[in-house]
Amino acid sequence: MNDKVMLRHGDGGKHTSLLIKDIFYKHFHNDMLVNSLDASVFDGNHGRLAFTTDSFVVKPLVFPGGNIGKLAVCGTINDLVTAGAKPLYLSCGFIIEEGFDMELLEKIAVSMRETCRRTGVKIITGDTKVVEKGAVDGVFINTSGIGGLQANYQSKSIQEGDQIIITGGIGEHGTTIAVERYGIKVEGNIKSDCRPLNHVLEKLNPYIGSIKLMKDPTRGGLATALNEILEVSGRGIQLLEKVIPIAGEVKSINELLGLDPLYHACEGRMIIVVDTEKAKEVLGDIRRCEGCEDAAIIGSFLSAGLPSKVVMETVIGGRRIVGPLEGDMLPRIC
Amino acid sequence: MSRKMDKDLLTHLINGVNAMATEEIKIMEVCGTHTQMIAKFGLRTLLTPKIKLLSGPGCPVCVTEEKYIDWVIEILNKYNVTVATFGDLMRVRGGRGSLLEEKGKGKNVRVIYSPLDLIEMAEKNRGKQIVFLGVGFETTAPIIALAIKTASVKGIDNLYFLTSIKLMAPILHYILQEANHQIHGFICPGHVATIKGSDYFKFINREYHIPAAVCGFEAIDIVAGVYYLVKQIVQRKEEAFANLYKRCVSPQGNRTANVLIEEVFNIVDGEWRGIGNIENSSLQIKEKYARFDARKAFVVENQQVKVSMGCDCKDILLGKKTPKECKLFKDRCNPMGPLGPCMVSTEGACAIAYRYGEEV
Repeated sequence: MNDKVMLRHGDGGKHTSLLIKDIFYKHFHNDMLVNSLDASVFDGNHGRLAFTTDSFVVKPLVFPGGNIGKLAVCGTINDLVTAGAKPLYLSCGFIIEEGFDMELLEKIAVSMRETCRRTGVKIITGDTKVVEKGAVDGVFINTSGIGGLQANYQSKSIQEGDQIIITGGIGEHGTTIAVERYGIKVEGNIKSDCRPLNHVLEKLNPYIGSIKLMKDPTRGGLATALNEILEVSGRGIQLLEKVIPIAGEVKSINELLGLDPLYHACEGRMIIVVDTEKAKEVLGDIRRCEGCEDAAIIGSFLSAGLPSKVVMETVIGGRRIVGPLEGDMLPRIC
Repeated sequence: MSRKMDKDLLTHLINGVNAMATEEIKIMEVCGTHTQMIAKFGLRTLLTPKIKLLSGPGCPVCVTEEKYIDWVIEILNKYNVTVATFGDLMRVRGGRGSLLEEKGKGKNVRVIYSPLDLIEMAEKNRGKQIVFLGVGFETTAPIIALAIKTASVKGIDNLYFLTSIKLMAPILHYILQEANHQIHGFICPGHVATIKGSDYFKFINREYHIPAAVCGFEAIDIVAGVYYLVKQIVQRKEEAFANLYKRCVSPQGNRTANVLIEEVFNIVDGEWRGIGNIENSSLQIKEKYARFDARKAFVVENQQVKVSMGCDCKDILLGKKTPKECKLFKDRCNPMGPLGPCMVSTEGACAIAYRYGEEV
């Protein structure tokens, strides 16, 4: 095998087939994938299904805690999970820049395989294109996913007093990317929270009737996701800053850069809106999930008459509005 | 200090301020980071409306002249260079657009965090000319000076600095000399004081008889500063000055940093965006290091471009208006489409007022 991806790897002929066999089939191996031609055919159960798609163009391609491949699998799995679906099958499309390092491509495929293995999800169809140097930046990945709804979950209307749970420390992915992107030299173990959340959904099974809504705070972070939930619910949100879980190193790095963890993407966290009566029980069970030890109830919904805004009680007891992200966050001068 | 004690002390100080302030008191915080922290803590919602906290001209991006951005764009278009910049300059508009737009057109613009990374960048890309946008106050001046000096010692010949470094004391003199400034007390910028020393700001009460305090950036630092100032103002102690940030600020400041500044820079007149020319308010690279000065290495048109944004940024920077009093605020000028400089940076008074919303 070549050590670089060449244009001919995308010509649809022998080299394409070699690339697919040597990297993708090797790592994503399953009967459905290997035996399929242009599409994979599978038996449906007769329940409700969820279907989603997402494209990944992260830079840098490899970062502490993951890489673009792991992110592409987790991202789509988590979108299914927030719809209340058990993820079953994924498709993945690669758009690769000519000259891309073959070893890195394999590394990306391996981490996708590992994430699939851990979650019991299969990649059952895919596509590979190679484009001229400069046409994309390294590699772009698209994944689509299908999942079966768990216990016929559906989102419900949000009421006054409904509690908001976040499943762990926020801002870790976005901060990790900022550190890498701006070349900040920090000693420590800051890494992306990129992880699949299907195990959290399994834990929620007994409470599914009390779960009002789930959402993963990816682009735009917790603040933007809460503002989106607010749009849907039509109710204001009261947040308590001092209980929002943020790792010490995430806090310090963002203070240094002049960025705000509330607006950084999380790639392995979920916001769960729960009926107030069940909230503590749900929280207890979530905290027993791997990687969710710091989960917390961070706020609640207000009565319908109050302004429809996210209002936060600050660490010193003041109040401020938490709006959605507008424009990219850029590090400040001093 | 424990969190509990911190909280108790905070409550005590805030109650004290609210009890003392029976008439309107205007306090200016000069530094953009202070403005941001005040909004982030929601401090205004805890203080009586009689206390007016005004933002000063201490956001470096906000006071960088339009002409400067135009120069950068001209250099990018005329010469095959890489421009390295601090992040928040990316969105600032000059007369001809912003760096973000230039990057979108395929120009080589890179965001860096520390000027010292420039040395490595220049050494790794010997065939490429790199222009660093050295913007800021006395705070960033020493590190930019150190980068220039290091480049000189290492014989690096592909690195240039387009500087726009402003000085804090001259702009404060300018504000204080305005007859109708109405400011009762100053929270002096803690970062600048770390470099220049607390004595650098003593002229505020020595010459203008207004209380001032150097403060840090934690909630307790800022609240203690407000408490101290309100107490002096109420008791009419015009000569009062305090350094409340002793854990970082000494009376004389950081000697090494100041020696560096003096070695590399001259003091010259400076153009402040929205305000105009102020005598002896800017730093320029000395003749000894002229080969690193982008203004000398690249030919740029030096014509005065007058760009009127139609907003009240000048009055806001000088403490005469609050962001919400500007007619363009929010609808026509917002972080997605900033017209005035105060809306551009995360530390700009208008961007902060927009993002955090002053009253809830």
